[in-house]
Amino acid sequence: MDRSLLITILTIVGFMAVSQGIIAYLILLERKIAAWVQDRIGPNRVGPLGLLQPIADGLKFLFKEEVFPTNVDRLLFVLAPSIAMITALLAAAVVPFGPTSVPPSTEYQFVIAPGTDIGILFTFAVGSLAVYGIILGGWASNNKYSFLGALRSSAQLISYEIPMGLSVVGVVLYAGSLNLERIVQQQVEGGWNVVFQPLAFLLFLTAVFAECNRLPFDLPEAEQELVGGYHTEYSAMKFALFFLGEYMHMITTSLMLTVVFWGGWYFPGISTPTSHVAVKFIVFIAKVVAFIVFYMLIRWTIPRFRFDQLMSMAWKVLIPLAIANLVCVMVVREFELSHWLLPPLSIALIVGAGVVSFRWPAAPQRRMPASLEPVAR
Amino acid sequence: MDFDLATYYPIFIYLLFILAFAGGAMVAAHIIGPHRRTAVKLMPYESGMDPIGDARHRFDVKFYLTAILFLVFDVELLFLYPWAVVAYRQEPLLPAELRRIVFWEILAFVISLFVAYIYAWRKGVFRWR
Repeated sequence: MDRSLLITILTIVGFMAVSQGIIAYLILLERKIAAWVQDRIGPNRVGPLGLLQPIADGLKFLFKEEVFPTNVDRLLFVLAPSIAMITALLAAAVVPFGPTSVPPSTEYQFVIAPGTDIGILFTFAVGSLAVYGIILGGWASNNKYSFLGALRSSAQLISYEIPMGLSVVGVVLYAGSLNLERIVQQQVEGGWNVVFQPLAFLLFLTAVFAECNRLPFDLPEAEQELVGGYHTEYSAMKFALFFLGEYMHMITTSLMLTVVFWGGWYFPGISTPTSHVAVKFIVFIAKVVAFIVFYMLIRWTIPRFRFDQLMSMAWKVLIPLAIANLVCVMVVREFELSHWLLPPLSIALIVGAGVVSFRWPAAPQRRMPASLEPVAR
Repeated sequence: MDFDLATYYPIFIYLLFILAFAGGAMVAAHIIGPHRRTAVKLMPYESGMDPIGDARHRFDVKFYLTAILFLVFDVELLFLYPWAVVAYRQEPLLPAELRRIVFWEILAFVISLFVAYIYAWRKGVFRWR
């Protein structure tokens, strides 16, 4: 007991320190990638190649003035950013961040709470509490921009939670467990889930982008319309906590994508169950980093949706597709058909959805009076 | 499959660490940061305009409808998870003769939900104008 307690505390301290450090440098990486995409140089003044920029930013969060506007609800105003950060960090408690095994190995531990059977459900449950941070922040600020941003954000978060949950049920049907380590184990034995359930992967990917408030789904903080959205009134450390929460969410979802769909540490030919832990770890981290860079590239590739498009995307596209996908997986699993039937079914569903939306567009083009046409664009 | 609360204790320790981190960061920033208040600085920021009235207004009923529909689907999802875990495990928890029946019941459940979904769509719940 004592030794496992010590290991747990070491894991927690290590994870928190490393994740905070990584977040600081992710912000630098994001700015660098943005600069490269836009053919600029990016931050390069603080230290060599701008490498000390995150430290300067962190210190500024501490030394800047905290503003409490006159008519905010002080308690909720302080509570909101803490909730946003706490839930984002807590959701990572059961997600492996390195090689794992079933039952949990005694030599190394790359997950804070190994062998937790509620795994995915815990992450979803705690992760969805983040909506409280956002709506409380918007409500407490007593600012019209914050309020509208918080409303939009909460509607978006709850809408995209359904396809996110539905797309994972198919994976759970094959793994027979919600335990994330078991899900990795199942993929070691049966192959990556992304190969067999590409549609579920796409749905999950889209939904987690929306859950992270990343472009193209960053409506809640659409600068041109809502200034800063729910964190318009926040400054100094309280703003930093919102920001930390957002980046932490990005890391957690990248870990989830790797673990649930891309086989965790398993990579045929490179890292097999007999490989050394270090090899497994490098493969795992490489996958996670690939996802984080993908997040950042998407941000500068796809323009932001309109709010009605965003909501129809969740309710009219993702949810029916997720239900159809689930029924397909159910039938294949129940009648013990070959699981090689699943990829063609997924592709058929995507093509079918494309054909349907092409033949019968959900929102017909609104016709404007000819005289208004040039002005309205 | 045995339930053991001991596997959950790291989560609680972790929660304590996070609470300490969040609280510490806020208190530190409060102590270190300057406090120079002026009347204009404390006004709500609305792009330089003087704010008119309170921000806590009535808002579009669409948001309520979305929340209610979310509840419907999320509770449904919650029913699917236990079934998905139990249905096809290596060490069966479900008696073999019940498996097919449960499958049809879940299918009927999903289809009835889909009917409700189509009803909501036809009623125009998903129309944002």
